[in-house]
Amino acid sequence: MEITKVNRSKTPYAFLALGVLLLAIGSYYGLYVAPAEQYMGNVQRIMYVHVPTAWNWMLAVLFAFGCATVYLFKGDLKWDARMEGGLEVGTLLAFLLCCQGSIWAKPTWGVWWDWDPRLTTTAVLLFAFLGILALRKFVEDPVKRAIWSAVATVVASIDLPIVYMSVKWWNSLHQQQSTPQTVASAFHLPLRVNAFGILFVMIGFIMLRTRLAALRLNQELAVPPVPSAEEAGELA
Amino acid sequence: MTQGVIVGGWQYVWMAYGLTFSAFAIYGVTLLVRLRDAARRESA
Repeated sequence: MEITKVNRSKTPYAFLALGVLLLAIGSYYGLYVAPAEQYMGNVQRIMYVHVPTAWNWMLAVLFAFGCATVYLFKGDLKWDARMEGGLEVGTLLAFLLCCQGSIWAKPTWGVWWDWDPRLTTTAVLLFAFLGILALRKFVEDPVKRAIWSAVATVVASIDLPIVYMSVKWWNSLHQQQSTPQTVASAFHLPLRVNAFGILFVMIGFIMLRTRLAALRLNQELAVPPVPSAEEAGELA
Repeated sequence: MTQGVIVGGWQYVWMAYGLTFSAFAIYGVTLLVRLRDAARRESA
């Protein structure tokens, strides 16, 4: 019996395939067709993976926050499974974001890492999500696990607007948010194609990870089979 | 670096793209393996 409904459709694989295709097109265009930037040269091409990763990471955090909030109001464990999907994929994207940023920082800032407000607040959210995932590993009761991690996710997500506004609120080495008006039109296509590519990959991953969480929940909550008369006799 | 312009730097570009696609590929494979194991446990 399924206590938490498990979505077994092939849709996540379609999202993954479409995402990979778009990423291949966008990355080819960004690496070979788009012109090098005037001052940063070829190093600026890192933008075509770094910025889409950042946008989609924010969406993953918002998704996890939304699922945590709905779970706390409704108490339906399907939202806990979805939150777990958002948490894990969000952690993957946060890790990638910090690594890509670090690789871009070395040739442009001269250092791999700086305790700059944008970098620090992003790292705080990465470690907060890692902590929540660790918490989920150690709590065996599914309901306690869901409540505690939902509360922790809501609290950790308060950092997201701080990450977004950090470049405006404090003096930051990191540049401020770009808009289509501040980015040359030649850079728009690879940026947008890769943004949709990572979005579709992220959706596919979250759907599959949610399926995994739902399968585990069903196994945990399954009622143990009633022993037969013979088995009961043996036990007695 | 010459006159404020970064010259070269392709190694950083490849590092960033390589890391991104490797991470997606490795995570995707681990996810599929974990799903397969969970499905086996479910049917057992």
